[in-house]
Order: sequence, then C-alpha cells, then structure tokens
Amino acid sequence: EKPLHIHAAVGIGVVCLVIGLPLWWKTTEVYRVSLPYSDIDQLAQYKIQYGVDVTVISFDEQMVGVDLAALSKHLMESLDRNPIPGDISSRYRTSVKEKTSQESSLLSSCTSLSDLDAKLKEVFKQDHNQYYVILLPQTSQLKVNAPEIGLNRNIFFTKTENDLKQFAGQIAQTLKEVVVREGSVLKAYEAAKGSRNQKFYRLQPDKERMRTVRSHPGYDITFTLVNPQPDIIDAQWDIQHAVRAYLEPLTKQLKKYATVNIQSQVLYFTGLMTKPKTDTQKKEYYYTTKELPLIINPIEANLGSPASNNPELNFLVYVPTRDEHPLHIRDDTGMNLASNAFLSPRWGGIYIYNIPSPPQNASLPVRPSIDMRKVMEIFLFQIRLLFNLLYQGSTSVNLMPVGNKVVADWELDGWLRTHCVENLATATATLQSLAQLLGQISNIVINDDIGQEVQSAVQSIKESYQHLKEGFLEKAFLASRGAIISSEKAFFDPSLLELLYFPEDQKFAIYIPLFLPISFPVFSSLYKACKWFRERKVLTKAKQE
Amino acid sequence: MIFAILLSLSTSVLTVNTADPPVEEFFASNHTNNWAVLVDASRFWFNYRHVANVLSIYRSVKRLGIPDSHIILMVADDMACNPRNPRPATVFNNANQNINVYGDDVEVDYRGYEVTVENFIRVLTGRLPPSTPRSKRLLSDERSNILVYMTGHGGDGFLKFQDSEEISNVELADAFQQMWQKRRYHEIFFMIDTCQAESMFQKFYSPNILAVASSKVGEDSLSHHVDPAIGVYVIDRYTYYALEFLENVQPGSKKTMDQFFKVCPKFQCQSTVSVRTDLFQRDPKKTIITDFFGSVRNVELLTETLNLQDSTAEFSCSKDKCPEEKLQKTSVQLLSYAKQFPMPN
Repeated sequence: EKPLHIHAAVGIGVVCLVIGLPLWWKTTEVYRVSLPYSDIDQLAQYKIQYGVDVTVISFDEQMVGVDLAALSKHLMESLDRNPIPGDISSRYRTSVKEKTSQESSLLSSCTSLSDLDAKLKEVFKQDHNQYYVILLPQTSQLKVNAPEIGLNRNIFFTKTENDLKQFAGQIAQTLKEVVVREGSVLKAYEAAKGSRNQKFYRLQPDKERMRTVRSHPGYDITFTLVNPQPDIIDAQWDIQHAVRAYLEPLTKQLKKYATVNIQSQVLYFTGLMTKPKTDTQKKEYYYTTKELPLIINPIEANLGSPASNNPELNFLVYVPTRDEHPLHIRDDTGMNLASNAFLSPRWGGIYIYNIPSPPQNASLPVRPSIDMRKVMEIFLFQIRLLFNLLYQGSTSVNLMPVGNKVVADWELDGWLRTHCVENLATATATLQSLAQLLGQISNIVINDDIGQEVQSAVQSIKESYQHLKEGFLEKAFLASRGAIISSEKAFFDPSLLELLYFPEDQKFAIYIPLFLPISFPVFSSLYKACKWFRERKVLTKAKQE
Repeated sequence: MIFAILLSLSTSVLTVNTADPPVEEFFASNHTNNWAVLVDASRFWFNYRHVANVLSIYRSVKRLGIPDSHIILMVADDMACNPRNPRPATVFNNANQNINVYGDDVEVDYRGYEVTVENFIRVLTGRLPPSTPRSKRLLSDERSNILVYMTGHGGDGFLKFQDSEEISNVELADAFQQMWQKRRYHEIFFMIDTCQAESMFQKFYSPNILAVASSKVGEDSLSHHVDPAIGVYVIDRYTYYALEFLENVQPGSKKTMDQFFKVCPKFQCQSTVSVRTDLFQRDPKKTIITDFFGSVRNVELLTETLNLQDSTAEFSCSKDKCPEEKLQKTSVQLLSYAKQFPMPN
C-alpha cells in the first residue's frame, strides 16, 4: 500500500522548512543599507594634524647666513614643541631665507608699515595659510619695538636681543598663540567633540566658546532700529547704504564659506521694558550692568525671526525717548560706557543711540538721521567678537587696526581653521552616534539616501583631514562644510525614528498566533512519518534476516 | 552675655549679605539660552485641568523671560473654544477665575491631534520633516538649558497621549539619550505631574538631568479643586503649589531648585513628591530656579570699537539711484493670473 499520508506529510514538511522558512525570513527583513561602520570608528580615532607654512625673510644685514641657519633650527624646534597634548596638533613647515635685491628695494621704497604690508602681499601672492615673518633691521625707519601683525599675512619683527634661541622662541610664540591661534583651535575641537565615553561630562564656562556662534553653513543677521517715540523723534537710518559700504568687505570674504543673510527692520512704538535709573545730579538716565540682562528678553519677543534654521544674530539700535534722554550704560565703577553698547553671547548686540531732544518750538516729529558710521563701528566690532575673528588674548603683540577691511587675512585663516576643526569634530561625533543608534536597534529602516549621505560624509571627512594636514586650508574647510551638511542630514532624517510599537520582545506575540496552530499538525505528521520510516527500516531489516 | 549674642547675630547677618554672588561674573552660568517644552497629553473636557496646568506653567515661564520662539507648547485639546466651556476663549486655573491663562498672546505650537508620541519624540530628537516651520522646532545647542514639563494621565512606566497611545519611560529615556549624543542640551529639568509619575524618570541614563515628579510609583496625583461655574476640576495639586512658588519668583530671583523641591509636602499634595538628582552634577541647593524657568542672559559690555573711515565718498550709489537696484527692478516680472494655471484656450 502506498503510504500516501506519509508522503504528503513529508512533502508539506519539506516545503515548509526549505521554501517557507527562508521566504518568510527574507520578506520580513528590514531594508537596511550597509553603512561603513569600521570607517566611522577609524575616523573617530584619527588624530588631526593641521599644517601651516611659515617663511622667514630677513631684511637685517647684521644676520648672516650662519645666524639664519641657527635661527631656522631654533625656530623649527620651538614650533614643533606642542605644550598642549591631545588629539590635535600642528605641523609647521618653515623656511628661512635672506632678502633678494628686489625685496630690499621694496623695503626702501615703503614709507609706512601698512604700505610695506600691502606691497609684500603683491609680491608674494600670499595665499591662505602661508605666513611671512619679516625681520626688519634696526637701522630701518620701519623698525618695530614689539612684534606687529599686519592686515595681510605678514608679521614684522625686529631683533632686539642677541640670543637667537630666545628670539626664535618669541617668533614661535607669536605664531602659535596669536596668528595660528592654537589655543582656540584646541578649544573648538574639544567643545565640539564632547565626550561620549565619560558618564559625567559637563561643559566648563569659557568666555570665548560661549560667545562664539557655532559653526553653521549659514547665518542670519538682522539689524533693527527700535524707536519708541516716532511721533516725536522719527529717526532715519540708511541701513542699506551702511550694509553695502561697511559690512560688504566681510560678507564678500565669507561668501565662499558661509551664506550670510542680512535683513533689516524698524520697530515703532516698542520700548525697552526695564525702567532705567535716574541720576538727578547729572540729569541723565542709566542702566547698570545688573539690569542689562533683563532688557533682551522682552524686546526679543517683538523682533521676529527669519524663516530658516540658521543661527541668528540680532543687532539693535535703540533711540531713547525724549523723557529718558540721555540714556547711558554704566559699568561697575560708575562711569558711563564710551561705546554705550553691550552684547549677549550667541545672540547679538544692543547700542543705545542718544539723539538730542528736539527744542521746545520745533515742529514734531523731527527727523534726525542716524550716523551709520558710528553704528557700524560698534556692530562690526561685535560681529568680530561673535564670529571669533578677533584675537582676544593679552599679549605684547601689536595688531594693526583693521579699519574698513573689517577682517584681516590672517584672522580669516584663523576663522577657517577653528571652524574646519569644529566641523570635523561635530561630523565625526554625529556619525559615531548615528552608527551606534543604527547598530543598537536592528529594526530601523535605513534608506538608500541615508546610506549615500553617510558615505559622502565619510568621504568628505577623509578629504578634509588630508587637506588640513597638507595645509590647504580653504579646501579643507569646504570639505568639512560638505561633511557637516551630509552628516546632519543623515542624522536628522525623519525616517530614522525609533520603531515605537514593534520591539523585539513583542515579535513573539505577533508570530505565535500565526504559526503555532499550523506548526502543530505539520510537526506531528512529520514526527509520525519519521516513526513510520524507522519502523519500515526495522521491518525490512528483519525481513532480510 | 547678651552683648555677645547680639554681636554674633550681627556678624551672621553681615556674612549672609556678602554671600551674594558677585555681579561682575557675567559668564557665571554655563548656559547661554533657555528652552521650554511643555506638553499636555490628554484630551476631552473632563481633563480641563491638564490644559490649565500646562498653560499656567507656560505663563510663568514667559513671565520669567523665555520668549515664545524658545517655547514649544503642545496642547492636546482645545478647552477655550470647547462648546462646553461656559466662558468661551478663556481657560482658568483657579475657581476665583482671577487669571485667564489662555490670554491674548498664547502661542500653541502643536495643537489637537498634532500632539502625538511620534511628534513629541520628533521634537526632542530633531528628526522633523524639512517643511516644519521654525516655531515647531527645538533648535537647542550644547549650551541650552531645557525645561520639559509633562502632564496628563499616567501609570507605572507610561504616560497616556490622547487616550489612544502611550509613551513609555524607556522611550523617553532613549529620546533624552539621543539628545545627549547630538549635544542638544546642556542641562534638562524634567517636571511631570501625573499619577505614578516617578516611574517616568526612573529609566533615565543620560547625564545632566534633574527630575521631579508629583507622585511615587503606586500613588495617584490628585486634582486640587473644582470650579462649580465651569463644572470640572481646574488644576492639579502639585502644579497648583508649584505655581504658588513660581508666582513669588521674579526674573532676578536667587531662589534655588532645592527650595522648589520642597514645594507641596505630603499633607498638601497627598502624594509624595519625588526627585532624582543623581544624574545632575551641580548641587540643587546652589542651582537657581531661573536657570531653568527663566532666561537670564549673560552680557558683555563693549569696551572698544572699530575705527571706520567714512565711506560715503567712495560709495556714490544712494538709495534711489543705484544701478544694481535698477537691474533688480527690471528683473521683477509681473505675473498675470491666467499664466499661473493651465487654462484651456
């Protein structure tokens, strides 16, 4: 007799196990693109090195070839000494040479240091990250008593002491602290990297890090004129002209690296909600430093904000009313502040512009126009502080005043360097946390575009590390910018939300009611079939014997 | 002997006065901005008190200085315009109906059915679709202190949203960890007023979180009083006493978080207020309340300025006669109505 039920049971069992089980496994798989986890881990361990090119040109006839060779050796030693150990270090390429005859004629033709500064830039075509240390002779009329840094990438020294080693140390210190700003770069790196391994980690208060706006591909700057009494004092300001005339040098330079959107507005009938104190003796009104923090919040509610996710900086000009005129800011010693302005870190600044009260019989409203030069002087300085363009350490170095150029070339280099490092640290931290999240939770879908963004972010980071090491600052910054845009896009993709109602332990609750009823008959008939085969084997064996 | 006592008293008074923090330390606190995420998770008319809770905290937070742009307010149901509201367009938190907590300038960011667990987690982690407006995003950074207040119906390990879904304490802890990984907060103060509220913060494992809950596991948080004119309970006990405390806080106040934790003892609240401080690195006795509830900014006086040269001479283009502007004007095309739609000829 044909054991049809046995064959049927075996057939069904085979189909279930061989075809059904793999099919079910494949179709309920979560779509996950493979991510370069090992690359991301490697990037996190990488020690960043940034290269800097330094050329020393000696115009000093007293320094002969031997001296220059000794100076070069001492300089290289001092520059390579890294007092701040860590994951980030600098790498200097120095060359020391004597002046050529063309260059010495250049020196004699210049009447002032700024003139020399500009002419040197023409001759040497100083690109990003290339610094020239000019040693001026004691005999020259342009000699400097303290190191002076020009508006381009020239640093002027005059040898005042005979010990070459100490002189080299002085040059190295100026370069490392002021020009390259190693301290700022390290701080930016540490702050952005955070600490993923420490259980109890807390940021320390640091004026520079707290004040600086975080590195972002774009910024929004809004200039506001706050006029509480426009029916009496209708202040006019030509902000368009002022932005074009004074702010443009900065935005033009930054255009390649970050999009800066500038807006302006006028707020009427809005005042500062805090009442100033009265000084009846001098007949003026004033705010002390204790009241200033309370001014910002009420007025911020009226400022509005641009429709983007960029960090925004607000700069306000406040025209006091006729009754509260003149309005000053007093510092802690009780003196009126000369600038009459203050800034709030990562927010912007407020400038109180006192307009003389209109005389008794004037026809109201009077229409005074605001001196935009004074306004922009204050705001540009605040922008330099908020963007961390200004070197703020206390040194014995003279910095040539920037004036209408707003940002010196070497300051821009410093900005690029700190922001590049901050971007890289942030991007690697983001990728690490993303990898950890996706590795931990195995049922999050990873789409193709997320995989692509992660790959491009990893690629850009590698590129940026390479460029940074070789000293190509601009390329490194642009690569780091691409890296941070890609990594943020991948991390904040809306599809990466943790699956809320399908955790691992609840999978059983879903599959058991489906598969258990079917598996009972299949397995029991398979078991019966196996028993039947074994019995048949015993029977045939017995038959054979 | 009396003289000695008087002397010691006077010296102690003097020392109290000099213990005030020095005013010059403008960068004394580590955070630069404050955010608040206030969530009411329950709907229906009889949960009026939860809406009143969250709106009262919203008012306090605004009064102490956090602007609307930094507050994410999620209200799950509309009580002010509810047809059962005998005083339309108002929400009161007290039977004497002194303060209309709805007010004229309330800005609700997530309203009605938009208040879901998914949206709440999206707001916290930042994974919002690109079309989300700025007012619905939590744009905090690593120096933001965030106040997270949640109210509604809860149980052991979960909080009920909209009577149809729930958020578990594990999910909330994971969301905070995601925020920590992406450096989206400096310190978080988590405040929750529901039944068995303590369970919601038991699973937290990210650093720098200070949490307070209105009741322990196994206890219920009770409501305070009913307003016979409206017909429902108008405020919960813990929030009522917390608001009493906050009403006495002014923007420059030096009251500490430790004093805030002592609000609503057992005889007033009938549930035990529990606190979690092990993840928080500072001493709550030294943390002032405006670190989380208000927004006291750091300021820096400007001691020097740039020296600019007058640039009107070189810049000959004024407002009216600028060649670039003329170019801009001519490039503006006037759209005619018919061209915007494909119309049959």
